[in-house]
Formats: sequence, structure tokens, C-alpha cells
Amino acid sequence: MIYQAALFEDVPVAEPDEIVRLRRRDSAALACVVGRYQHRLYRYLRRLVREPAAAEDLFQQTWLNVVRQMDGYDSRRSFDTWLFAIAHNAAMDLLRRKAGESLEESGRELAAAEPDALSAAMASERTAILAAEMAGLSAPYREVLTLRFEEGMKLEEIAEVTRAPLSTVKSRVQRALETLREKMTARYRKEDLI
Amino acid sequence: MTTHETIRQLLALSAAGLLDAADERRVREHVRECAECSTALEELAAVSADLCRLPAPMAPAHLLARTEARVAAELAAQTGPRHGAILAVGAGLFAWMAALATWGLYRFLAGSAGWLAWLLLTTVPAYMAAGAVAVMFASRRRLERSV
Repeated sequence: MIYQAALFEDVPVAEPDEIVRLRRRDSAALACVVGRYQHRLYRYLRRLVREPAAAEDLFQQTWLNVVRQMDGYDSRRSFDTWLFAIAHNAAMDLLRRKAGESLEESGRELAAAEPDALSAAMASERTAILAAEMAGLSAPYREVLTLRFEEGMKLEEIAEVTRAPLSTVKSRVQRALETLREKMTARYRKEDLI
Repeated sequence: MTTHETIRQLLALSAAGLLDAADERRVREHVRECAECSTALEELAAVSADLCRLPAPMAPAHLLARTEARVAAELAAQTGPRHGAILAVGAGLFAWMAALATWGLYRFLAGSAGWLAWLLLTTVPAYMAAGAVAVMFASRRRLERSV
């Protein structure tokens, strides 16, 4: 019944020797690492900013910042959290500049976009609806959910990426999950009545 | 706050697998006897399980190539001036050593009184060359930053 973090054992991560070569500005190593993280990083950015074009810009900006800040990377720390923290900073800068995007943990969430009927039918209907409901949450909630459930990060790692206190991360996870539960329960209850 | 309320607040973290062993045990003991919390935990666990199976947006194929090109340009911009600086320092040292090595020859040809002329002939061009290299590096960096 309880969620299992073990699902993430086969997540692609950077090899230690790649990190060493990366620090020496080895372009081949960098290409390997970019390739390894491409889908994970892109997914995280898409969840956070929602728009594909903005996620692509941020993806490129993140890797440029990695190259620029590589000397500041402490190899005792996890490369994943360091990389996602850089992506987080770039995304937050963009979201702050963007009109209409809330970085507040608002209790009142946006209405979820309706998933189109075909994709909902082709994919699992429930997960398609859940994805749409998740997209309706505010950015801090979307972020903790993707870091926990898609990246498999622990509380401490999420706190490191988002630079938020542990208690804040806990309350964000709690409120985000509760909100989704309420929305999904209400939706299915309504469909049962029809 | 009652036990029920305390546990109620831990349910989401339990469903997310984020509780420590002691709190997880408390939650399990409570939900065995509390139907409301048991239902809530089941629903939260279902949402958590579905969140792991969300359709994942994949990075478009062109993004990798574009990123690699931009990153390669950034690396070249970083390593180019570094290599250039090492070469410039090396060339400067070589010029200085060469100037010292010519002292004996100069003294033989011009006599012992020509040390000032030797100094001017060897040091002034070296300082001028170093200044020119510094100006070239500065203008190149300005150009790279503007691209």
C-alpha cells in the first residue's frame, strides 16, 4: 500500500569517472552526462514550467550553468541534487518573471485542464486525469511531487534542491497529496453519480 | 491535538514513503482501528502509486543536439582563453630566458658598458608584447560575451 522508493533503482545517473572528467571540462563526458539526464531533467522542468518551449530553454540554460559552476561542485554531494538545484534556480527565475504564475503555496488551486478524450482513453484514464490535476497545482506543489514520485528523492534531497526547510517540504508534500486526493475522489464520486 | 488528528496529518507522508520507522508504526497501528484514516490512507496511497506512473514527457530529439552544441561552445569559450594565457606566459618566460642567454654574446660584441642598451633592447619589447597580448585577450573575451 505504501509507496516504494525502490522503483527508482534503474534511474540513469552520472558515473563517478564522468564527474571527474566533467570537472576537467571534457566535452565527451559532458555529452554523456547530458544524454543520461535528458529525459529526467526535461520531465522535471516540464512539470515545473508546463510549457515545452520554456522547458527546452531552461534545459539548455541548466547545462550552461553546470559548465559555468562546475568548479563549485563538491564531489561529496550528490550530483543529482546539485544538478536539479541548478535547474530549480533557473526555473524559479523564469516563473518569477512570468505573469500569472504563482510561486505561493496557494490553498486555492487552478482548475485543471481537461485531458483530451483520446489521450485519456489511450493512456490510463486515471493517470491522465491525475496529470491534468497535478498541472493545476501551484509550482511548489508540482515540484515536490515530481521530485518525490518521479525522481524518487528523499525529504532531505528535495529540501536541498528547493532550498526550503525540511518542515516546508513536508507540508508541501502533505498538502499537494491531500489536494490531489480530494480532487480525484470528488471527480470519481461525481462520475459515479452520473 | 488528539492521536487521530496527529495521525491524520501523517497519512500523506506515510503514503509518500517519507515517514521514519517509528511514525510509520504509529500510523499503521492507528489505521487498523480507525476506518476514516484507513480509507484516507488507501486513497492517498492510490494517488501516490498513480503519480509514479504518470505519462512522462520525453525530451525532444533536437534538444540534445542543440544543448550539446551550446555547451561545446561554452566549453571552448572557457578553455580557449585558459590555453591562450598558458601559451602567453610560456612565450613570455621563453623570451626572458632567451634575453638572459644573449647577455654574454651582447657583452662580447658591445663591451661591458653596453648593459643599459641591452636592457632596453630586451626588456622594452617584452613589456610591449605582454601589453599587446593582454589587450588582445580582453577584446576577445568582450567579443565572446557579446555573442
